[in-house]
Amino acid sequence: MEGFVAKHVHDYQTGKISRRRLIEILTLAATSAGAGRAAGAEPTGLDVALVNHVSYTCPDFRKAADWYSKVFNLDQVGATDHDVALPFGKKGEKPYGVAANDVPLTHIICRTRPLDAPAGSGPPRRTPKAVIDHIAFTVADFDRERAKAQFAAVGVTNVRDGGPFSVYVEDPFGYELQIAGLGVTAICGAEARATCGDTR
Amino acid sequence: MERFIADLVQGLDNGRIDRREFCQAVALAAAVYGAGDAAQAQAPRGFKIIGINHMSYTCPDYTRAREWYASVLNMKSESTRDDGQRANMMFGPEQGKGGSFLVARNPGVVASGSAGVKPGAQAVIDHVCYTVPNWDEPRVRATLHAKGLDVTGRDGSLHVYDVFDYDVQIASAAAENAFRR
Repeated sequence: MEGFVAKHVHDYQTGKISRRRLIEILTLAATSAGAGRAAGAEPTGLDVALVNHVSYTCPDFRKAADWYSKVFNLDQVGATDHDVALPFGKKGEKPYGVAANDVPLTHIICRTRPLDAPAGSGPPRRTPKAVIDHIAFTVADFDRERAKAQFAAVGVTNVRDGGPFSVYVEDPFGYELQIAGLGVTAICGAEARATCGDTR
Repeated sequence: MERFIADLVQGLDNGRIDRREFCQAVALAAAVYGAGDAAQAQAPRGFKIIGINHMSYTCPDYTRAREWYASVLNMKSESTRDDGQRANMMFGPEQGKGGSFLVARNPGVVASGSAGVKPGAQAVIDHVCYTVPNWDEPRVRATLHAKGLDVTGRDGSLHVYDVFDYDVQIASAAAENAFRR
């Protein structure tokens, strides 16, 4: 807590935040910490249920969206002049494995915009020191050889093996995708390395 | 089809249609039937995505990412997969039943078959948005503030930066939904 307070006091003293903002932050933090202590527990984070969406930025969002639609049978919804969403299913469907009613289908937003476009209502987006270098999709009834044939059928030829249970491809903008079955999990490398392969 | 043709024959027999109309109807029915067969016989194209299996997150120090995502988003590190170079951070449903994970890895730690970070790629994932169920605006904001994070965005759809300045969005189903754009 002290380090947290010190950071924000520093921000205030160097003019990064206003006096009013400092008071808001410290009041919220103090009351949250107090509530935690009262409940006999340390403050915890947020329980995220699923990826809501990934924001895919590229030079031509229509070209990207058409490719993802063709290869992964995804509909395009809510198109604007700079982006479009591609949900992993139809309206009214629930995400696989999710019972809650307030968790929507994951979707990709294909968009074209500057990389420093504001995050929400904030200032220009920071330049990150981390990168999501690939995303893996879980597909139904995955079979590696059948997956290669399916890619070939839609004109995708740059397919590479990713162990016995996945393959890698690049999309039209050179972004790497991995396609895997349900058997590829965070723990399978430990419990079934011989059959799963180190594909992550 | 058999019933359809039987009806046509009855129509021909009782004079409701003439021979020419009968032949045209049968030929049309055969063409439609054949087209349906051909469509059914065509090999399925494309995949059916169930969800996001995992995301590969390369950063200067995976341990700091591991701590951040565990602390802020309650992701759980699969300890047996933490090899000192990367960690698998699980979230959502049970693994293998719809659950996902974030692979936090150090630079140069590349999965078998992957090309790793490619400077030449023209596309980037500039942020990832996570759904928080049972959204409670004051509680969510208080939790993020308590972690020392600056929060931007609007009610139901908030943005913060992780420890490596990667944009992380946290949203409710009401605020972020592909079908309500």
